[in-house]
Amino acid sequence: MSKVKCECGHLNPYGTYLCESCGKPLKEDDNSLANMRYEGVARRSQTYKKSIVDKIWNFFSSVKVGVWIIVLTLIASSIGTIFPQEMFIPPGQPASVYYYEEYGTMGQLFYQLGFHNLYSSWWYMLLVAGLGVSLIIASIDRFVPLYRALKTQRVTRHPGFMKRQRLFKKADTVTEPSEEIKKASEVLKERKYNVREENGNILAEKGRFSRWGPYVNHVGLIIFLIGAMLRLFPEMYLEDHIWVREGQEVEVRGTGGEYSVRNDDFLVEFYDPEDERFREGLERSGGDVVKTYQTTATLFKQSSETIGAGEKEEVQQHRIRVNDPMSFEGFSLYQVDYKLNELAAFTFALEEIDGDSEGLEDVRFEVNLYDPEPSYEFDNGYRVEIYDYFPNFTFNDDGEPSTLNRIPDNPRFIFEVFAPGEDDGELSFVGIQLNEAIEEDNQYRLRMVDFETNHVSALAVRRDRTLPILILGGIIFMVGLVQGSYWHHRRMWIQERDGELWIAGHANKNWNALKKDFDYLAEQTNIPAPNDQTDEQDESERTDEGVREADDNGSTKQ
Amino acid sequence: MKKRRLIIRSAILVVLAIALGYTAVTYFSEERGLVDAGDQAPDFALEDMNGNTVHLDELKGKGVYLTFWATYCTYCRQKMEYLKEYHEEYQEKGVEIVALNVDESTVQVQRFLDRHNVPYTNAIDRGMKVSNAYGVNSLPAVLLIDEEGDVIDRQIGGKTEQQVLEALDQLVPGSE
Repeated sequence: MSKVKCECGHLNPYGTYLCESCGKPLKEDDNSLANMRYEGVARRSQTYKKSIVDKIWNFFSSVKVGVWIIVLTLIASSIGTIFPQEMFIPPGQPASVYYYEEYGTMGQLFYQLGFHNLYSSWWYMLLVAGLGVSLIIASIDRFVPLYRALKTQRVTRHPGFMKRQRLFKKADTVTEPSEEIKKASEVLKERKYNVREENGNILAEKGRFSRWGPYVNHVGLIIFLIGAMLRLFPEMYLEDHIWVREGQEVEVRGTGGEYSVRNDDFLVEFYDPEDERFREGLERSGGDVVKTYQTTATLFKQSSETIGAGEKEEVQQHRIRVNDPMSFEGFSLYQVDYKLNELAAFTFALEEIDGDSEGLEDVRFEVNLYDPEPSYEFDNGYRVEIYDYFPNFTFNDDGEPSTLNRIPDNPRFIFEVFAPGEDDGELSFVGIQLNEAIEEDNQYRLRMVDFETNHVSALAVRRDRTLPILILGGIIFMVGLVQGSYWHHRRMWIQERDGELWIAGHANKNWNALKKDFDYLAEQTNIPAPNDQTDEQDESERTDEGVREADDNGSTKQ
Repeated sequence: MKKRRLIIRSAILVVLAIALGYTAVTYFSEERGLVDAGDQAPDFALEDMNGNTVHLDELKGKGVYLTFWATYCTYCRQKMEYLKEYHEEYQEKGVEIVALNVDESTVQVQRFLDRHNVPYTNAIDRGMKVSNAYGVNSLPAVLLIDEEGDVIDRQIGGKTEQQVLEALDQLVPGSE
């Protein structure tokens, strides 16, 4: 695996097609046009295989592998959109049942294969990671040799290189070649070409930086992917949500107890179903449509590191609406959801089961369902105690009354009523549309006479430190795209060989522009424009090469 | 030259592997909590059901069995029975049991504690502040905090009597 020495003296890595320096074809093949991709340099990874490191390297360096990874990622991503992802199915529905019931066998399959949680599944992430690695390695493997080749290129190229360029011409009709080359050099400099001279030969070059476009673009993509990867770390990206009832103060999750937010007022407006303008749309959507909703919230900051201790300081008040979050220290609180009319308080009245309830008119009390007072005493000697409370009533596994959670969706109380002077109370079990005496000879009954409800607002807590990285990646991506698309790399070689003038040209794209430059050169000097050898291959049957003149080259189609 | 290339390639591949591996481990290890073994336990000060202040910092020098519970959590009740049994024995050995209820109403908690005669310290974590700081999202959740205030272990879910005993043993100051 030694280096290949060209006759010009340059040492080329094994596998090089065209000498990096003089361009002499190092592999003898037929006399077709030179493959100028990556300047004919060796992408060395592909030219020999040795250690395991090289094998891994070669695998990721392959464009074929890269394309496969992209295709698989695209297919997986699109399959993932056929049915909703797990986070979008109705809450409280187990995914294992939901997909089958809603979408049948296909849904079952979707669930079984893990597509319901696609974007966080290990194999999808593996694909994206593979894409990133492939992008990095393939870019390094191509950029480094290309950069070297363009840096070490010589002005005087080997005849074999010249001959095999797409634009090429030998002219023996020019009387004073060296004078013409000098003139050409001036003309090309005027056209913003970068002209290098060596032994009376010139290399005119323009827009080389556009060759770096794809690599700049890849750097942008890689930065973008790194940003996306960092989202998996809570320090960089945090997303959570909190439910805040009106009047309640709740800690902002993720701030470690430092910040809390109070819901001062929640407001929701619906589109007026009576309004002519909205009626049709509302009928179509079949229900109320929210016009706007907003939470007036106050933010507090805790002074102490110790949770539950220290002073609270009001930081700010803000009306949080959709797209108008409350922001502080990198955190944002967004309005995302609400729940109207959650039960908040019950008012009970005491009455006699058999009797006219005389003297009991004042025995009325309100019970806060989030944190009820344990005991209620009245001036006329009556006392009611809460013996037990179940905010969301159920019977537990042992058959005892219990609660499902702490949300008062189905509140039930066991009250103990003490008549004046009595030490023994009467127990009764009270809930919505339920009033049972636990003992048989109860004299009193508690009747629910009123209730209060509360609105609950859901706020999303988000802290995204990856956004600047993503934006930077996006900008670099676009810069690379523009750099590689709107500029192109043109080169002209003009040499004097044994009294003949050799002219060759290469462009990485937009050959027409290069041809026009050659035409301009032909107008200004006596140097003829070169022929497009790909045209000649097509037209060689009907045109005699010998009589072709330079002027029919400029406008050839690519 | 060839050797240098091998080194460069290996270095690039190793850096990529470490970055991706670290990400994967962080992301897929749900086991690790917000506060877990090796971390300093966040300090808190709450008023317990008897009106006294439980300040974690003041419990330094003792092992702390910090357990988060709710009245509706069956496994918590099981664990409570074991803790009731061994509470006194381990208090003498320098282990304090601190139970934090996850923001249920005072009436519920008080009635529940009275009914079950729970002898050890109980406080209500109003607003789930401590629970959030400790990253508690399923019950029962237990953090074993040593006499230095460092977390030794984080245990989620129901545990047998044997396991609870082992946990308490770990907390005895001077054992390790």
